[in-house]
Amino acid sequence: MKRTFAIPLVLMSVMGWQVKAIAHGVGITYEATEAIALQANYDSGEPMAEAQVSVYSPEDPSTPWLTGTADASGRFVFAPDPSIPGNWEVQVRQAGHGEILNIPVGGEAGVLATSADGSSEPGASAADDESDSQIASGIGDNLSLPQKGLMAVSVIWGFVGTALFFLARKK
Amino acid sequence: MHIPDGILPASVCIAGYAIAAPFAWYSLRQINRLKDPTEELPKASLLTAAFFIASSINIPVPPSSVHLVLNGLLGSVLGYFAFPAILVGLFFQAIMFGHGGLTTLGVDAVMMGVPALVAHHIFRVRHAFRQKLGEKLATNIFAFLAGALGLGLSAVIFFFLVITNIPSGFDAQTEQAAVYGLTLAHLPLMLIEGTFTLLLVAFLQRVKPELIERRG
Repeated sequence: MKRTFAIPLVLMSVMGWQVKAIAHGVGITYEATEAIALQANYDSGEPMAEAQVSVYSPEDPSTPWLTGTADASGRFVFAPDPSIPGNWEVQVRQAGHGEILNIPVGGEAGVLATSADGSSEPGASAADDESDSQIASGIGDNLSLPQKGLMAVSVIWGFVGTALFFLARKK
Repeated sequence: MHIPDGILPASVCIAGYAIAAPFAWYSLRQINRLKDPTEELPKASLLTAAFFIASSINIPVPPSSVHLVLNGLLGSVLGYFAFPAILVGLFFQAIMFGHGGLTTLGVDAVMMGVPALVAHHIFRVRHAFRQKLGEKLATNIFAFLAGALGLGLSAVIFFFLVITNIPSGFDAQTEQAAVYGLTLAHLPLMLIEGTFTLLLVAFLQRVKPELIERRG
């Protein structure tokens, strides 16, 4: 007899607790914001999947403002605080490989530029972001494959030329 | 395997230059002692070109990929010329492709150049085994060992440099796991580079044996 009473009691207590938890409602609102999307690739062209990313605000360059990881295709999106204009520093790192990228935010020249009255203009910035926001880090990143190939061939020819020079002198 | 700018703290970069300098000086002095230092230059120059382009050749080792380094090969074929050759090669890689960096040039030179000199000495050990194993076999075995261990030592130095310098902003465990993974990926590369060195040395021995014999 006692046991048959105990089961509904236990059930009631569990259910009651759950109902109570649901009663703490969650309010989620959303707004469209301007964000910076990074694409991190190795120079072999492979994405830096799950690379660690640290974002430093211009106000405090020593402690990270935000840390996270890139997704499987090396993409990372974050929304900087537009009220802190300046150079936002983004560090991407994986297995001792990585890069530091400075992204100017706000101000006249930066991405997510604010207009004179302080409000951001999504339409205007989206138009010129196409060209402006393509900030490439590193030296080789904005070179096409033929350009890289030509550079490699030039340097190699330099070495071969040096070899030929000293070979000719020997004779 | 090149360590780019911004990964290591400034003190380590400076230490890298400080360690690389005496090695460069010592290598140049050894070269200067040769009867005719320019005699070896064509070979050194061609292998510098090979070293320069090797890092652009990626070899997929799942899940990541590694690139050729060839420092063990340079060490065994060039001897003391290997260190300046690697220094010049690294400089061009940093300037042209952003592979490595100028602040870490010293660190990278130590990481790849010093194992190259070690490889040179490993390759020399073949003389001791000449009687026991026969000329050809001893050369082949020690060419392979020099190529493989030169790269392996570089991978070990890379591992310690990176694992001890994880900045506070990053999750150390994730980064450590990634570094372990990348270092392990260099094991198959050791076999590849060892074989490369063996093939090149065997080829040189057949067509122009004085090229490898002269350097002792």
